[in-house]
Parts: sequence; structure tokens; C-alpha cells
Amino acid sequence: MIHISDDIIIRTLARILVPFIQLYALYVIMHGHYSPGGGFQGGVILGASMVLLLITHGYGETKVRFSERGAVIFSSIGLLIYSGIGTLCLVFFGNFLDYGKLSTLLQVVPAHARSLGILGVELGVGFAVMAVMFSIFFDISTSGELPVDE
Amino acid sequence: MTTFFLGIGVGLCILVFFVLYRVVFGPGIFNRVAAISAIGTKTLVILLIIGYLYDRIDMFVDISMVYALLNFIGTLAVAKYLEMEGERK
Amino acid sequence: MEVTLLVEAMDNSFRLMENAKTQAIELLNSAVRLTSETRAVEKKKFETIFTGAREARARVQNMIATFGILFVFWLVLSAKFDLFHLSLGVICSGVVTFMSHDLLFANVRVGDIRLMLWRFVTYIPWLLYQILLANFHVASLVLSPRMPIYPQVVCFKTKLESDMSWVTLANSITLTPGTITMDIREREFFVHALSKKVADDLSTGEMEDRVAHMYMEADHIYIQDVLDVAPIFGELRRTL
Repeated sequence: MIHISDDIIIRTLARILVPFIQLYALYVIMHGHYSPGGGFQGGVILGASMVLLLITHGYGETKVRFSERGAVIFSSIGLLIYSGIGTLCLVFFGNFLDYGKLSTLLQVVPAHARSLGILGVELGVGFAVMAVMFSIFFDISTSGELPVDE
Repeated sequence: MTTFFLGIGVGLCILVFFVLYRVVFGPGIFNRVAAISAIGTKTLVILLIIGYLYDRIDMFVDISMVYALLNFIGTLAVAKYLEMEGERK
Repeated sequence: MEVTLLVEAMDNSFRLMENAKTQAIELLNSAVRLTSETRAVEKKKFETIFTGAREARARVQNMIATFGILFVFWLVLSAKFDLFHLSLGVICSGVVTFMSHDLLFANVRVGDIRLMLWRFVTYIPWLLYQILLANFHVASLVLSPRMPIYPQVVCFKTKLESDMSWVTLANSITLTPGTITMDIREREFFVHALSKKVADDLSTGEMEDRVAHMYMEADHIYIQDVLDVAPIFGELRRTL
């Protein structure tokens, strides 16, 4: 399932669409306050863009941008961002994930600090979801062994 | 104008049931995959009409774009899987 | 005397036949070499479709162009123009450009971009008109009680050169109801058509000419020019 497709139409369409899909996924993450979206949905779309690149161009092209080892690291980074922001609120004498106490660090009013805190947490969730989606698809379709480089 | 779009939306829903016949009774897997992709296209337009009826078109454009994307990638993935299965046999 | 002439003539004819045989063998060899070379060149062209864009000279241009297009797309999506969202847009476009900058312009092609965009803008209304006409025809086919469809596969060799123009032509053919592009193998299109009228509309080649005119490749043979020149050619043939 993960080797380069010999149909030129699908290859060209996929390589043109992937940057737009990724930008749309980041838009969905950042605008979680105002329109339907948020961290999980944006992460799923990011993972879907990586899967599209994987099934049309093979593992050689995807490895340059986002390898399988990078997926493992990325999921940990997402979790680190989430619990890191929570612990930062603990440091400033608040509860866990009490974003209002971050206002002294960011020099803004507490309401704005809560908005920025939620944005940061959504970003962490998005990264983790993207990495896990990519990793699940890769492991199931190759059943554990890395594909030979073409 | 609202009644016109409501009529079109209901007509599209009825057409979805016609295509559903192919999903259920289509002899073989390829008929079913093509019919599901067609239902996805109709669902896209129905979502936009619902957004117009609820007067929140900007929100529903986002949702329908995501669904179009997932429909495309889903059909591609199923086609790739069937090709691999056919090669293995 | 006659015998010598005869022997000389036979020698000459044998030499001519030998020359012809060696020439024919050379021609066949060069033909085989040329086709294998063409195949190797085409294979290499597809394999290096990304390394052309990864050269350092083209990389910066690709990155800036991709960043510009993505930022315009962000502005269209999110209609908020305050500083916070604009800076978010710049950061997101920058991240996506860094990750996939050699995807959009994989084979950089010479040509005036503004002229190509203008021709693209004038190509779309013609395509929409063709889709409208084909819609009426296919609807009349499907809704008539005896359903006179004659499914057939049309193969034609294309004169277009780059993969973007192949994909544009294939998508235009598939968007028009009644025809679906099945495959493209080595510059040959396999198109499934629904009835004879649709297949005839396809094999006039007008859509291919318009796509070639839009991408500015192989448009030195335009169907209208051939039709203009035909009576002059007839006159010349009669006078010669």
C-alpha cells in the first residue's frame, strides 16, 4: 500500500493539494474559538495529509518531511506542550491548567491569558493527534517492517 | 428563496436513497465504493444548503470542506487497498 | 566486352545490395537505441521530478512563491485582519512552506506566468459551456426509455509535454459528463466514452488544443490554422 503510485494524475494532484490541506488544518486548529474545529479535528486533517503523501508518493518522499521516528518524537512533544502549560500554571500558584495565572508571565489581562492558554493546549493536542494517526496507519499497513527504499 | 433551497435539499436527500440501493445491492465492491463517493458529493451540497437555511453559512463551509477532503482521501485509500489485494491474489 | 559489362553490373548491384543491407541494419539498431533511450529519459524525467526543484537556485524562488500563495489562501479562509491573526497566519504559512516547499512547483517551467493565468481565466467559461452541453446530452440519453448508450474506449496520443497539462486535460475530460479518463500511459490517453456523439466530440481534439494553447506548449499547430491553410495547399497541388 505504501509504494509510489504509477498513475501520473493522482501523483500530481496529491502533490499540489498537500500544502493546502496542511494550511487548512492549521487554520482549523487556530480558529477553534470562533468556528467548528480545535485541536483534535486539525490534528486529524494534518494526519490525513501525511497519509495522502504516503499512499501516493511512497515512503521515500514522506521520510524527508516526516519520518516514522519523527512521528514518535512528535507525539511526545505534543504531550509535553499540554502538560507543560498545565505545570506552568502550577508554578504560578494556581491549579493545574488554570490559565488565568499566566497573565503575569504574558503581561495581558487574565481573560486574554486564558484564550492564549487554550490555544497553546490545542496546538499540543493537534501535534499529538497527527503523529498518532500517521503512526497507526503506518504500523497497520506495513505490519511492523519498514518498506525498502525505492 | 428559503423554500426553494429547502425543496432542493429534500430532493437531494431523496436522490441519496436511490444511490443507497447501489451501496446495498451493488454486485461486488467496486460498485459500492463508487456509490459511497457519490453519496459523499451529495452530502456536501446538503450541508451547504443546511448552512444557508440556518443563516450561518461561514461555519458550514468549513465543515463541508473537511468532509470533501476526507471523502477524497478515503476513496483513494480504499482503491489502493483493493489494488494491493488484487495483486496479492 | 558484354561479359565484362555484365560482370561489372553484377558487382555494382551486389555492392548496392550490401550497402542497403548495412544501412537497414544500422537504421534498425538506431531505432531500437532511440526507443530505449527515450524510455530511459522519460523514466529519469519522472524520477528527477523533485530533484529539479531541490536545486539551491530554484529553492528560494519556490519557497517565496509557495509562501505567498499560502498566505493569500490563509487570508481568504480567515477574514480577520487584526495583528494577532495576521501574525498567526505568517507563522503557519512559514511552517507549511518549510515542510513542503518543493511540492507545488516540482518542475519549474519557463513561460510568462501572468499570460498563463489570463489564459486559464478565459479557458474556464468555455469548459463550463461544454459541461452544460454534455449535461443535456447525457440526460437525454439516460432518460429516454431504450437508453441508447454505446460504451467505448477511445485511445489517442497527446502532443502535450508536461505533467501539469496532462492532468489538466484529464480532469477536463472527466469533468465533462459522458467521458472519463481511465489511464495515461506514455503519452497515450485511455478515455471511456458513453456514446458515439461524445466520442466524436472528443476526437476532434479541440479540448487538447485549448489546453496546449493555455500552457503554451505545442501550440504551433492550431486546428484553425490547418483549416485556413488547406485551400491554399489544394491550389498548390493542382498547379504543380
